[in-house]
Amino acid sequence: MKKSLEIIMDIGEQMMISGAEISRVEESIQHLGRAFGAKRTDAFIITSNMEVSLHDENDASYTQTRRVLNIGTDIEKLHRLNDLIRKICAKNISEEEIKARIEEIKCGTVYSFSVIMLAYGLISGAFALFFGGGVIESVCSFIIGIILSLIVKATERASLNKIFAKFFCSFAATLLAFFCLKLGIVSSVDHIIIGNIMLLIPGVGLTVAIRDLFAGDNLSGALRSIEVVLFAIAIAGGYFLSAGIMGGIAI
Amino acid sequence: MTMLVQIITGTLGALGFALLYNIRGKRLFFAALGGLIATLCYCVFGLFIQSEVLNYFLCSLLVSLYAEIMARIIKTPTTTFIITSLIPLIPGGSLYYTMTTAFSGEISTFIDKGIYTLSLAGALAAGIIVVLSFAKFLGKKRI
Repeated sequence: MKKSLEIIMDIGEQMMISGAEISRVEESIQHLGRAFGAKRTDAFIITSNMEVSLHDENDASYTQTRRVLNIGTDIEKLHRLNDLIRKICAKNISEEEIKARIEEIKCGTVYSFSVIMLAYGLISGAFALFFGGGVIESVCSFIIGIILSLIVKATERASLNKIFAKFFCSFAATLLAFFCLKLGIVSSVDHIIIGNIMLLIPGVGLTVAIRDLFAGDNLSGALRSIEVVLFAIAIAGGYFLSAGIMGGIAI
Repeated sequence: MTMLVQIITGTLGALGFALLYNIRGKRLFFAALGGLIATLCYCVFGLFIQSEVLNYFLCSLLVSLYAEIMARIIKTPTTTFIITSLIPLIPGGSLYYTMTTAFSGEISTFIDKGIYTLSLAGALAAGIIVVLSFAKFLGKKRI
């Protein structure tokens, strides 16, 4: 049972890291507990902490807690974990195989950084057009998006506080947009900034927060909502600072 | 013309986010398709429906439904399609104009825009919630 608990914790932790909703993780742990033959499974999970108890036939109980940090969004990982869980529940996989699969999933496959850079550019360029910008604005937004990907990477590497990182990214992106305006490339910064802001808006956070709240995980939902609001304020703050600086310079 | 541009760019935007969230294989295609459906619904409904908030709610409803159905067909978490398909509906433009009015100190416009942005986000959330509740109600195991 101890080994099973270890496996369950590993899977749960990886699910949290890849950005699953709380209800999904708790449900998966219930299924896994049943599959491993526990008489009773108790799971309590909030955004950064998980705690699971298993009871076996002899009424002995095993408990583990884990602190979960570095939560991101990695759908590929989530998909593979989901597949693994389905296999375990169907009981056609050995314990060694499960462990090997978990290790494999932990390493994961991600897109190369050049693809990520391109995605950043694509998103900001596309949304500059989407919200009514012109072609030149879209191109500016595309380039700033690519620069922004480097800045985001740098803030991640420096392991800056997440809220300050958002503030800084927003500040840098708006500053670059105002530079385009001062250089006379565009006549208004609005659509460039909107394109870049779409990159920073915590859309996933909001969606997951809502889903958590209405799946009955009030605490996690509330925590995530607070994070979303703080991020939004940080983004606005970054904009205010650079607009204040650039608005004050007359060229 | 504007509509065509919006549909294409909305889809590209969703595709970009799908790449960022590390979605691969055929799921990448269906995630981008969700973005296409979202923008298409938004544009078409926009022709008939005056209220932007109602439009957002209906789009969010349809897209969430699409996400739930696709997740069951492809056997993958619903999150995959929800977070990417709803991207074009995020009120980024309206959020930005709220910010600019706050910056320039036009308080009454700021409050107007702010409430408007919040109602759009609320409509989006309502759509997700309705579908989520029904999916729970039908009570199929998600794994």
